[in-house]
Amino acid sequence: MQKKENDKFDENKYSMDTHIIYGKNISSKWDYSHHVTAPISSSTTFRLDSVERGSQGFERFANTQIFGDDAPIFIYDRLGEPNKDLLEENLAYVERGEMAVTFATGMGAISAVLGITTKSGDEIIAHHTLYGCTISLLNNWYPRYNINVKYIDLQNPENLLSALTEKTKVIYFETPANPNLDIIDIQKVTDVVAEINKSRDEKNQILTIVDNTFSTPYCQRPIEFGVDFVVHSLTKGIGGFGTDMGGVVIGKKKYKDTLLLYRKDFGAVLSPKSAWAILTYGLPSLALRTKTQIRSALEIAQFLSLHEKIEFVNYPGLKSYKYYDIAQKQMRNFDGDFAPGTLIYFVIKGNSPAESKEKGSKFMDYIADHAYTMNLAVSLGHTRTLIEHPASMTHSVIPPEKLGESGIDAGGVRLAIGLEKVEDIIYDLNEALKII
Amino acid sequence: MKKKDLMKFSTKAVHIGQNHDGITGAVIPPIYMTSTYANQKFGKHQNYSYGRSQNLNRSQLEENIASLEEGKFGLAFSSGVAAIHSLSALMNQGDHIIVSDNVYGGTFRLFDKVIAKSNIEFSWIDFNKKNLLENSIKKNTRIVFIETPTNPMLNLIDIKEVSSVCKRNNLLLIVDNTFMTPYFQRPLTLGADIVIHSSTKYLNGHSDVIGGLLVLNDEENFRKLKFLQNSVGAVPSPFDCWLVQRALKTLPLRMERHNSNAMKIAKYLEQHPKIKKVFYPGLKNNPYYKLAKNQMYGFGGVVTVESDNDGTMKKFFRKIKLFTLAESLGGVESLVNHPATMSHSAMTEEQRLKLGIKKTTVRISVGIEDIDDLIKDLENALK
Repeated sequence: MQKKENDKFDENKYSMDTHIIYGKNISSKWDYSHHVTAPISSSTTFRLDSVERGSQGFERFANTQIFGDDAPIFIYDRLGEPNKDLLEENLAYVERGEMAVTFATGMGAISAVLGITTKSGDEIIAHHTLYGCTISLLNNWYPRYNINVKYIDLQNPENLLSALTEKTKVIYFETPANPNLDIIDIQKVTDVVAEINKSRDEKNQILTIVDNTFSTPYCQRPIEFGVDFVVHSLTKGIGGFGTDMGGVVIGKKKYKDTLLLYRKDFGAVLSPKSAWAILTYGLPSLALRTKTQIRSALEIAQFLSLHEKIEFVNYPGLKSYKYYDIAQKQMRNFDGDFAPGTLIYFVIKGNSPAESKEKGSKFMDYIADHAYTMNLAVSLGHTRTLIEHPASMTHSVIPPEKLGESGIDAGGVRLAIGLEKVEDIIYDLNEALKII
Repeated sequence: MKKKDLMKFSTKAVHIGQNHDGITGAVIPPIYMTSTYANQKFGKHQNYSYGRSQNLNRSQLEENIASLEEGKFGLAFSSGVAAIHSLSALMNQGDHIIVSDNVYGGTFRLFDKVIAKSNIEFSWIDFNKKNLLENSIKKNTRIVFIETPTNPMLNLIDIKEVSSVCKRNNLLLIVDNTFMTPYFQRPLTLGADIVIHSSTKYLNGHSDVIGGLLVLNDEENFRKLKFLQNSVGAVPSPFDCWLVQRALKTLPLRMERHNSNAMKIAKYLEQHPKIKKVFYPGLKNNPYYKLAKNQMYGFGGVVTVESDNDGTMKKFFRKIKLFTLAESLGGVESLVNHPATMSHSAMTEEQRLKLGIKKTTVRISVGIEDIDDLIKDLENALK
């Protein structure tokens, strides 16, 4: 193999908007040489030149701490193949992590990072507002493993002090949180944890994990604020087109081998075809798409906040939002400009929660039937604007009487902004608001 | 002798052009989805410069089909008619071309309505009429284009015989081999100069790709065709090439099954009181049976029948369940087609009747389903 000089890559000379297109320019993982676009890896198995090379491959697998990960010996797709490797390099790079390991879905990534950081008898502390399926994972499965999960309000990081025990191993949260866009001060959380870790030995360090799906690295890079792991559903903003599922764990190099081992044994591998789509379409267009979506989101949030039929609007870019200052501090794009994200949460007015919920469903059904620019559908970070009702859809795992504890309103609506012309989205929202 | 010359058909179908990726060792070649290629330096590239001109998946497919047809060069196109259209690279104004009179409707349309405009003259003749070919040859005749078996009546043309006439008169013989595929018939070995395929049919076989292929031995003609392929740009996508290449690996398996299912269906329908005639070259009483045994290694998966009356035909289409009423053929799923109103509707009724296509004619593309299920379905539809 001809060794390629990577002399064009200069981290300081170019901006991240450019880096997300090129990654590190030339990868040691796959010299697809002069093809400008990476080929799609389409082989489940790889030819080994000799038995010796085969055994070398197995020896080196998930042993990057010793052998490095520059020129991998590919053996079998579930262990690793070039498309995933290329994508992982670029994802680690944009999130400011040392390494990334991809998974078949966001939940594949979340269960993997929790799988390698906790064991029976440990405790996880999580913010009380989380994606419904993450709650389902923690509530339905972790009791079986004898792992206790404590939900607290992390918006006040001081709450950690009273919740922490000797058994606490992981602090887990989303910011902005799904669906109501609670914002947690990442730096404050990591400061509190760092202080506690001082009195713990190396093995018992508390690790922080942030699900950064809502922000994408374009709006926020939690590793810069000291968190240990970032997880993503690549299906959302990073994938960006709603065509492929995927997940990723990004963090320090020393965890890579365990994550690879976990992925091999539990089998939630990302399909190379999906990895290729995210690598070729998703990541390179992330800056362009997100920039447009943020601009639209701000206008829509302003429109909704002034509407008489809306009780309140949560959007990190609104000055009236109670977490505006924290958002200002930590949600910044690659150039350092304020990047308050592409999601909006709002609640429709009603004289009672029941009336509010009823009006909410009427509003959503009208959109499902009449709106051209919006789809009543779960997911987010799509080219199309998606609207959903968390209480009955993404967060239906939470019993109605407990919705309040998770900060979710019965009549709350989550709006994930797409790439349509903003005036058209506002037109459709306005029409739907007229009928309630 | 090269290694690939020693391989038998099924082995070639799996291996030719399928060298493992040199860098990663990937046993199955990657899909090279790229439109352009970086030059190493000014004026220097690695044989690949732009996706319309070259693509690795396309080269692999071209190499594979060439070896299956026992030819030297293969070319891939975005459809069967695009492959046929590329033949215009070998035609000049004022040329005369002789075509078998019952070729596929799309070929007829392309020649008659498009290529004829370039002042190229066509004669449509019945190749089974004695001496008609010889008598149709003019001073300016350059090309003979035939399809065997024909669509939908499954008449056969003796390729060797036509080829000897062509050789005596210095004419280029082109054979559309879509119905048989190289597994059952290899026209180049019988004296043809160029073989044409709609890979949409049996070669891809899963009804999910539109494509065309062309194979030949002559290098000068290859260059001319390749030049046109690049100039016109009717090239298949890398992903489509990869899919067809994948399908070719099971071509022998599928063709065996198509063949045995079709044979059983032909025999079943032959004795059915509501079926007047069955056209299938594998039936011993078929007028082309002997020729079929001579130039083909099997009889294919298409069976054409004539029912006793209009009512039976209409009821048949209404009641048939497993067989889908649709255009095309050669897929793993069984299809039925009504030539008079579908595949051959572009012809006048008079033209159709001349070829033997009646209102009661039904073309069956037999798939690879379980034969008992297929016969049960036919039985029910004919009740």
